[in-house]
Amino acid sequence: MTAAVETAALTKRFGARPALDAVDLQVEEGTVFGVIGPNGAGKTTLMRLMLDILRPTSGSVRVLGEDPRAGGPALRRRIGFLPGELRLEGRITGRELLRHFAEISGPAERGAADAIADRLGLDLGRQVRTLSKGNKQKLGLVQAFLHRPRLLVLDEPTSGLDPLVQQEFLAMLREARQGGQTVFLSSHVLSEIQQAADRVAILRAGRVVVVSDVESLRQTAVRRIRLDVAAGAEPELRAALDALPNVTGLSFGAEDHRVRAAATVEGAIDPFVKAIARFPVQDLTVEEPDLEESVLRLYGERMGDVEHPAHPPRSRHGAHRGARERSTR
Amino acid sequence: MTAVPLLRRSLASGWRALLGWSLGVAAALLLYLPLFPAIGGNADMRELLDTLPPELVRTIGYDQITTGAGYTQSTFFGLMGFLLLTIAAVSWGTAAVAGDEENGALELTLAHGVSRRQVVLERSAAVAARLAWLCLLSGVLILLLNGPAGLDLREGNLAAGIAALLGVTLLTAMVAIAVGALTGRRAFALGAAAGVAVLGYALNAIGNQTEDLAWLKDWSPYAWAFREAPLVNGADWGGLALLYGLSAALLVVALVALDRRDITG
Repeated sequence: MTAAVETAALTKRFGARPALDAVDLQVEEGTVFGVIGPNGAGKTTLMRLMLDILRPTSGSVRVLGEDPRAGGPALRRRIGFLPGELRLEGRITGRELLRHFAEISGPAERGAADAIADRLGLDLGRQVRTLSKGNKQKLGLVQAFLHRPRLLVLDEPTSGLDPLVQQEFLAMLREARQGGQTVFLSSHVLSEIQQAADRVAILRAGRVVVVSDVESLRQTAVRRIRLDVAAGAEPELRAALDALPNVTGLSFGAEDHRVRAAATVEGAIDPFVKAIARFPVQDLTVEEPDLEESVLRLYGERMGDVEHPAHPPRSRHGAHRGARERSTR
Repeated sequence: MTAVPLLRRSLASGWRALLGWSLGVAAALLLYLPLFPAIGGNADMRELLDTLPPELVRTIGYDQITTGAGYTQSTFFGLMGFLLLTIAAVSWGTAAVAGDEENGALELTLAHGVSRRQVVLERSAAVAARLAWLCLLSGVLILLLNGPAGLDLREGNLAAGIAALLGVTLLTAMVAIAVGALTGRRAFALGAAAGVAVLGYALNAIGNQTEDLAWLKDWSPYAWAFREAPLVNGADWGGLALLYGLSAALLVVALVALDRRDITG
């Protein structure tokens, strides 16, 4: 497979401040690639470099096999872009604005604008300036998808969308991938895109912390479990679970005739299931793995190494602390 | 794809504003010019002007007010028309690149299949077309009022005056576009364009005071347009060449500048 987007030591500085620092990324064609990171991590800068809105300080970026500057308008016709800060104004209606964008972009199929707008629940007859933030975001999505570009570059596409529309949007992403389109999107929360993304890169302070496929993240996933067993089994259960290295945060609480245990299981669930099998289990809840928490743990570890290269590798405790610090910032 | 999409978009989104400017220009002409028989041709007015300090009269250009050409020059070309079209030129020129960039719209336009040069070219053309429309409208209205108001303007000279007015305001607009393309900053584009217009007017006014200071007019776009009194003497080809030549040079500056830098939002 060829790469839809490929960067090599891509660096962008604004004055002395590096917005991107030697970023190496590869996005396979026909995949959905997510870039996750807090605000100011460099996600928007990365996308602007892909579209030749910004030029690299050093390093290189190739989009659909071409240098963005050399590729020029012809290359950008094959890209659909949703900017992170979409500011649409004017008395023009959504439909007229889309007609204009279709003119300066790749050709759109007749009726494509209405079909996509219908899916997202957007009224194209209204003037752009009267649209709410969420509806402007929908209009931005329509113009990005309009000409069925080979590459979609979407900066924070889910921001401002309500949950139902988010689901519809994720369905559009899956269809785009099935149709052979490549999607490069960013978010500051992984949970919004984990269903749709094949691979994710974690970006922080202009550096790629980790690139991973969502499936691998799932392997390292953190699951919260709740377990009810008959009263009296507590000491034995505690001993059994304490023996498992990937079970942490164990706590017990007494209910009427039973004992409720709560814990966090990191990674493989199988040892835990085997360990509890011999107890009289009355109830068991395993929460959907929270990939974001997994990523934040990775974050903490890697960033610890990056920011304090002189320190020895951190213990898991250190990693936890790093993750928590970041998430409260 | 159809031709000049950005030019058409600019004109389509600005037609309301253009209508407003057209009404303003027409109102200025319809208010001032019909009064010529009562003011410029009037003996009392001549006496009043004689009592005023000559420096003031020269500054506002009323020393020629008693002829139809002088009156039209002092009231419209040199004052109200110049002012209205200059304000329009500054605001359109500023919005064309810098304003669009600062409000984030340029980023989205440039993410599509258009080049930066195409943006500068088509938007400059849109500004020029709107200024040309206002000038054409002025020319037609003056022509209509020429007989009834007794201005006695010659058509060729009127055309020369209109060309000068368009030239000096186009230059102002191109300053805004070029500075916008260089810096991407609204405030800089607006300041530079308004500065050039105001400075040009001031240098001309000071240069009018004495022969010793007349050289100041060599540095005034306003003087390049009007020092040779086009409504009386016809086209001043040297002045027009300066105005349009510099405008073209600024267009080249804008084309090169926007192509070379980062677009900021």
